[in-house]
Amino acid sequence: MRRKVCKIALNLILLALGLITVYPFIWMLSSSFKQNREIMALEQHLLPQVFTVDNYINMNARFNFLRFFANSLLVTIVVTLAVIYTSTLCGFVLSKYKFKGREILFSFVLGTMMIPWCVTIIPKYSMIQSFGWLDSYKALIIPAMFSGFGIFNMKQHIATLPDEILEAARIDGANEFFIFHRIIFPMAKNGISSIAIFQFLWTWEDYLWPYLVINAREKQLLAVGLKMFSGQYSTDYGALFAATAISIIPVLLIYLVFQKQFIAGVASAAVKG
Amino acid sequence: MFTKTHPLQSKSEIILRNIVVVAMVLFFTTFLIIPIGIAFAGSFREWNPLSGTYRFLGLENYKEVLTSPLFWSSLWNTLIFSVVVIIFRVGLGLAIAYAIYSALIKYKSFFRSIFYMPVVTPMVAVAFVWKFMYNPQIGTVNQILGLDINWLMNPKTALAAVIIMTIWKDFGYAVVMYMAGLYSLPSDALEAAKVDGANSWQNFRYITFPLLKPMTLFVTITSIISYIQAYVQILIMTEGGPGTATYLSSYIIYDEAFVKYNFGYASALSFVLFILTAAFTWLSFRVSGNEE
Amino acid sequence: MTGYQAIHPNVTIKLVNNPWEDYWTKLPLALDGENGPAIFNVHNSYHENLINYLAPLEIPLEELQADFTGVDAHVIDGKVYYIDYGMMTGSVYYNKDMWETAGLTDADIPKTWDEMREVAKKLTIKEGDKLIQAGLNFNDDFHQNYLLGLNYQLGENLFQEDGRTPNVNTDAMKQIMQMLVDLYHTDGVGSENFGEKGSDSFGQGQSAMVIQWGHYYNTLNTTWTDINFGVFEIPTFDGNPYAYNRYNGESSFGVNKNAPAEQQAVAQDFVKYFLANDDAQIAFNLAMSTFPAKKSLADNEKVMENPSLSILSEHIDRYIWPGPMPSTMETSLKKAGQDIFFNGVDIDTALNEAQETIIRDMKSSTFQSVESLYKYAK
Repeated sequence: MRRKVCKIALNLILLALGLITVYPFIWMLSSSFKQNREIMALEQHLLPQVFTVDNYINMNARFNFLRFFANSLLVTIVVTLAVIYTSTLCGFVLSKYKFKGREILFSFVLGTMMIPWCVTIIPKYSMIQSFGWLDSYKALIIPAMFSGFGIFNMKQHIATLPDEILEAARIDGANEFFIFHRIIFPMAKNGISSIAIFQFLWTWEDYLWPYLVINAREKQLLAVGLKMFSGQYSTDYGALFAATAISIIPVLLIYLVFQKQFIAGVASAAVKG
Repeated sequence: MFTKTHPLQSKSEIILRNIVVVAMVLFFTTFLIIPIGIAFAGSFREWNPLSGTYRFLGLENYKEVLTSPLFWSSLWNTLIFSVVVIIFRVGLGLAIAYAIYSALIKYKSFFRSIFYMPVVTPMVAVAFVWKFMYNPQIGTVNQILGLDINWLMNPKTALAAVIIMTIWKDFGYAVVMYMAGLYSLPSDALEAAKVDGANSWQNFRYITFPLLKPMTLFVTITSIISYIQAYVQILIMTEGGPGTATYLSSYIIYDEAFVKYNFGYASALSFVLFILTAAFTWLSFRVSGNEE
Repeated sequence: MTGYQAIHPNVTIKLVNNPWEDYWTKLPLALDGENGPAIFNVHNSYHENLINYLAPLEIPLEELQADFTGVDAHVIDGKVYYIDYGMMTGSVYYNKDMWETAGLTDADIPKTWDEMREVAKKLTIKEGDKLIQAGLNFNDDFHQNYLLGLNYQLGENLFQEDGRTPNVNTDAMKQIMQMLVDLYHTDGVGSENFGEKGSDSFGQGQSAMVIQWGHYYNTLNTTWTDINFGVFEIPTFDGNPYAYNRYNGESSFGVNKNAPAEQQAVAQDFVKYFLANDDAQIAFNLAMSTFPAKKSLADNEKVMENPSLSILSEHIDRYIWPGPMPSTMETSLKKAGQDIFFNGVDIDTALNEAQETIIRDMKSSTFQSVESLYKYAK
């Protein structure tokens, strides 16, 4: 009996917390179907009094939002794939090979995670400029190809894979490239999922870097695009909310697809760390 | 027969190792070490890319940082902001994860996904939405709570309002991390505790929580690093106001570097902040180490 | 733009839009690169970040001076890099329905600040202590619309005689700040917590009067179409001010001196076309709600039809442009005002602090005030 009361209470509490968590989303989604004057009106209603899809049309017609969306998707996918590959590779070498300087290299990788963006961003900007990479996706992709966080995670994760499998493959005459691509890579899918989710999110919402290095509007990314809705004298809230609603979809999808492996993946990184 | 210890490295192993080591060193040197060097050199200069100034100043920038009242008040804000958000993130995250993990909750992945939603929403967007919700006249927050508070303009509530928004956005991360931690716990330890007749609180306090310590440390440290660098919510919600009540240190850096183009001063500030990040990380390792 | 392309079919112009603040932060960075735009929008508040990238206009200076007001302020070493096509400044917008309900008529339109305060009191509605309708609202834009402008009514410039040292902790500024505090705290015609922004609050029908710059006319006509509003000239302290207010120019385009020669030639030609074409001038001024700088258009019919412009025409020469002030003037005074209203800082301290911040921020600035070029300068 007590257990039952507990159960109901706990479910109710979680439900309440869940409601607080999603309420801003519901409000935003609903507002994205309101006219701007209704969004700003003194009389506030959760549901639109005058239902309109103008915001969704405006967001694209006036701000070319789908273009930003597609750009972001492209850059984010490329960066995420690159980081997955480099992290797994580096993680493999750092965890399964024994060589001089390995520990130093690994502590160095750990150290990179602590450098705040603000320390490097100014010189990085000047460098990109002198490379002539401004306004090119090279500037967004190449400096993001290796991730300290990713390498750290994959090193921890691959370390948990049994050595025996590698030995067996080596005895069968497989070379290391084969072992990495055909054995380690598939076996590391939990770790890879967690990297995928994090890296996708970080690249997707990164604001300052694309804002600095991309000038051409048609190449701009989504997080910067979201700020365009606030103009000199006013903010187009309706279009902003419409754009936000759409901008969440890919990250949420990635999460839903990978969440099972993700849960297993982050565990191995931190718990066995 | 071959020996099992694999004494000699194969040729392909050496090649692969060399490729990886060289690539890593090259990459981190180019995009991390060299920029840090440039920034460090620049922090001793008056450095303004627009007017083309690059003049040696010695320790002037550092002196200005350390004697600026705004820097110290922003540091205090950063400290409050980070500590409060981290406590709530870890606390709420752990509590909710444990609740979902327990046998009492049925729709586990439903709840997990709900709490993760804010985490995957871009901060720029979230900050705009919350700014609107904090509006004193038409904002949802006042309307639901039946209050009349000018959240973002009252020096007593402005930082708190930003903190609440940040907790809302980020606690889901800790929920998911802790769930992952919980699922990977050795089940024999928990079983043994059940047999011993430990009640659920004892069970949590003496077995589960200590086992989750690496995860707590992980969440805490990644949080320290990211919160000391937080500025987007300030940029959009308060611009540091009212007055300078909600300046965070990284917001000053953003403002000095990309609004006022004082690259030198901003670099000096960055290094001060970097040292603090390192100190706090070290501290949290120490604190957790001492418990053992 | 389409007009120009129709005459010059061989020219293609690629329009690039950026969000307002980002545009100005990024433009200098873009111009620093090799493929920057040949022609770009100039806003004089970002003058310093842009001037190094601008090529002088090829139009003879005397012609420009003859046709446009305010050209002198833009002359650098005998050359002009851009001029203003329109002048924007602040006026009082009032809600006509509230005006009527309060029993006010056209005869009550205030000329002085004392009258303004009385009118504002009549327009204020309270239920007990709770404000229902503000008589006047200056939230979020008091620095723009009061602090940086009313000083001229009191005969005080924003910069000291050297043209570089800010002049914001003066008695004039203190008097203005005190008036703002008194309006809310003594007269009770509004509150710092009533309406996040004065401009929105007026649109929501919660505030009866706001001082706004010309662009607000367009906002009212697009977003707040329900509001039945009128406009009147900004009040003065004694009816005979040194100048009425600060104005800001909406600037013509700038030509990128680093662009390829043939692109620059087209850009120069385009600017010339733009300034010479009356239709373009009227269209731009109406679109921005700015008073035309082109002298021949001062009494143009279409301009006079816009009430936010017609009320300016009588004293349009009595407005001062201080030059492209660095943005720290605005942000520092905004902070000062927020400190006074929200953080309990006293006026002297807040303004002294603003003075210091501005001096620090302007250390590496090349700004030089052009207040001394004002027609009626003392």
